[in-house]
Amino acid sequence: MKNVSSHGPAHAKHSGMEHPRMETTPLGPKAVVGKVVARPNRDASVQSFVPEIAKGLVITAKHFFENTKQMALGQRPDPVLESINEGINCISYPEQRKPYAERFRGVHRLTQRQDGSPRCVACLCCSTACPAQCIHIEAAEYPEGDARRGYERFPAKFVIDELRCVFCGFCVEACPCDAIRMDTGMHAVPYDSREQFIYDKDLLLGIPGRDGEHGTENPRHEPGDATYPGVTRDHAH
Amino acid sequence: MNELVIRLAIAVGMALFYALFAMNLAVILTWADRRQGSMIQDRIGPNRAVIFMPGKVAAVGALLPALAVAGGVLAWAFQAETDTDSRGLVALVFSQLAIFATWVTVLAVAGRIRVRGARSSIDLFVRSLGDPRIFVWIGVGLHATTLIAAVATRGMSEGLLLEEIGLRSGPSVLAFWIAAGGLYAASGLAREERVGLRLLGLLHPAADGLKSIFKEDIVPANVDRLVHGLAPLISFFPALIVMAVIPFGDKLCLGPNGEAAALWAPAAQVCAGKPFGLQLVDLDMGLLFFFAMGGTGIIGAALAGWASNNKYSLMGGLRAASQMISYEVTMGLTLIGAIMIYGTLRIDLMVEWQAQNTWGIFVQPLAFILFFTAAVAESKRIPFDLPEGESELVAGYFTEYSGMKFAMFFFAEYVAIVTASALMVAMFLGGWSLPFVDRDGLRVVIGQTVWFELALPQLLVILLGVGAFIAKTLVLCWLSLLIRWTLPRFRYDQLMNLGWRKLLPWSIVNILVTAVVMTLLANIGGETTAKALTLLGQLSELLLSVLGLAAVFIAVPWLMKPVHHRRLIVTSSAKFAEMAGGTRLGDMGA
Repeated sequence: MKNVSSHGPAHAKHSGMEHPRMETTPLGPKAVVGKVVARPNRDASVQSFVPEIAKGLVITAKHFFENTKQMALGQRPDPVLESINEGINCISYPEQRKPYAERFRGVHRLTQRQDGSPRCVACLCCSTACPAQCIHIEAAEYPEGDARRGYERFPAKFVIDELRCVFCGFCVEACPCDAIRMDTGMHAVPYDSREQFIYDKDLLLGIPGRDGEHGTENPRHEPGDATYPGVTRDHAH
Repeated sequence: MNELVIRLAIAVGMALFYALFAMNLAVILTWADRRQGSMIQDRIGPNRAVIFMPGKVAAVGALLPALAVAGGVLAWAFQAETDTDSRGLVALVFSQLAIFATWVTVLAVAGRIRVRGARSSIDLFVRSLGDPRIFVWIGVGLHATTLIAAVATRGMSEGLLLEEIGLRSGPSVLAFWIAAGGLYAASGLAREERVGLRLLGLLHPAADGLKSIFKEDIVPANVDRLVHGLAPLISFFPALIVMAVIPFGDKLCLGPNGEAAALWAPAAQVCAGKPFGLQLVDLDMGLLFFFAMGGTGIIGAALAGWASNNKYSLMGGLRAASQMISYEVTMGLTLIGAIMIYGTLRIDLMVEWQAQNTWGIFVQPLAFILFFTAAVAESKRIPFDLPEGESELVAGYFTEYSGMKFAMFFFAEYVAIVTASALMVAMFLGGWSLPFVDRDGLRVVIGQTVWFELALPQLLVILLGVGAFIAKTLVLCWLSLLIRWTLPRFRYDQLMNLGWRKLLPWSIVNILVTAVVMTLLANIGGETTAKALTLLGQLSELLLSVLGLAAVFIAVPWLMKPVHHRRLIVTSSAKFAEMAGGTRLGDMGA
């Protein structure tokens, strides 16, 4: 308190030498220490807004003429490739689209094996990991005599409710078989009705990845392959 | 008989003009507002309406008109018997047009090549000629050289030779370039599988209009059905009808018996034959009619607000009524000064006064600014769109309207902009008059000296005037759109404050000052003052011409300036875009 006011001119004026120890507060507003800020200009030109309106009109006109010229002559900058540029860069969606980033999490797909069947083994890891509980899987056994019977199961039903999905990507992280991916590069599509957002197994299998492929590069180790570990649920080592 | 045919032709032409001007200009303005408004943010704006056709059909569509025009030029040039009086003029016009067509065609081709690359041997040849900008400068140089040569050799044998060259080769060169341009465009189109006709997005408002007609017309329960249906009509038609008193061109002067031949010769200063005004109604109280009818538009908004049986609509209607009445006062009073100077209420006489003396904006600058502000406010648009302020009143007085009824309110606003702009052009910007363009041609006079004189046929002068009128109106419309794109909305008390406490006193001051100056000028000087005023008027014309030329000389290099963009490929989406060839290559392009 004392220090604050000791620098002020008001205090200096009143602090005669008679009572140096008395804490006298001068009447009137306290002297405030700080930077002197100029009063805002409030003359007629500011109050009437006319110069500012003129400035604004000039800016609008400048953008208008420049953009119209560039649009008419086909010289518009590419908003992605020439992003740091003078003027305004807009993408006229949906005529023009910005490509999604490499790791963009789009609509799900189920990857396929060589024979076109799903890589999914119906382990329910994804539906367990899903925080939105939007994945519904009904597991089924392969028929008797199939080499994969007892080694793995397959999804008889695999349904994702894209309306509930929060696109967190946990299902992709959880999957031990690289069977579910979100690398389609597609964002959620608008539909007319809720039913259409329920993606079933066939639809999910049919969506290709961004590279156009339905498979993945990770190898499978199935019965009959050289890398097959020879382990099943029924027959351990 | 002859006169009747001409009068009929002019009447049909005028009807078309009004239909085009009031309705289409409003449609175009709707488009311009949305599309050009988005262009400020470099978006394309509404551009979805398209007519697809096979490339071959589009090629024929591009080629046929070009060939027809070229053929028409050739046929006219080799058929028409040009008498010796107008030979020089015809030769000059055709040679200038030929030069213009030459450089514009080459420039357009070069521009296309720059945008989409060379596709044929012709493209490669044009590209090898170098920077497209040289074509402009070569063209301007050719224009200047030929003009100077024509003026310098006037009356000499070389002049006759030049006339002969211009008369023989001008039309052929012009026809050649028109046909060549059409052919080039057609050859490009024929290669396409499917060509979309978008007309820069102009089809979009037409599609919107069609859509509005077929949309369901929802009339809420408990509304006054009659008034609810009547309100859009009442606000729409007054806006349209006021155009009737605005002249869009100088008086056509037919021969004493109504011969059309008079149109091809330079007109006399005072029409000896039958004058034919280019306005729909020739009213002595033209300006009063404009205000009487224009003011009726308020009733539509107020009725709509009342009939909708909705508190927001009612508020909107009330706001519309009070706002328009407030600004109507200013509008009327600002024009008093102009009326005092022009001494008439007939708009055509006002324009004639301006054509003879100087544009109204030079004698009434304050009135122009005040009137422009009031006119923008009167059209109920941003920044004065309180009657429909969506943040307060949903949509104001047309909240309960849908389909074409809503579109009519919407249209009425745009038509009001067009008509108000047209009135401002007629009152302050000289209407159809152009600086130094007389009834009988081009004449540059400063003081008593005639610097340049060129007789032009009456029809050409009048068409120039009509073009000037449309161009000036468009500029003013654009200005009011620009204001809309820039400024935020007023608060209601600020609006009333501006109307009653700023614009109104200033308009009264304007009247007083005008009266004092007019009295002073009438009582002092006499001859000298009149001369000085004439000189000032001529100087103002000179100023306008210099400004116009300067605008052209600034605009051309600006248009031709190549744009250099910096590429920055860092993000993965930029890498994807680079692989895809950029994001601007969409179907609609730019």
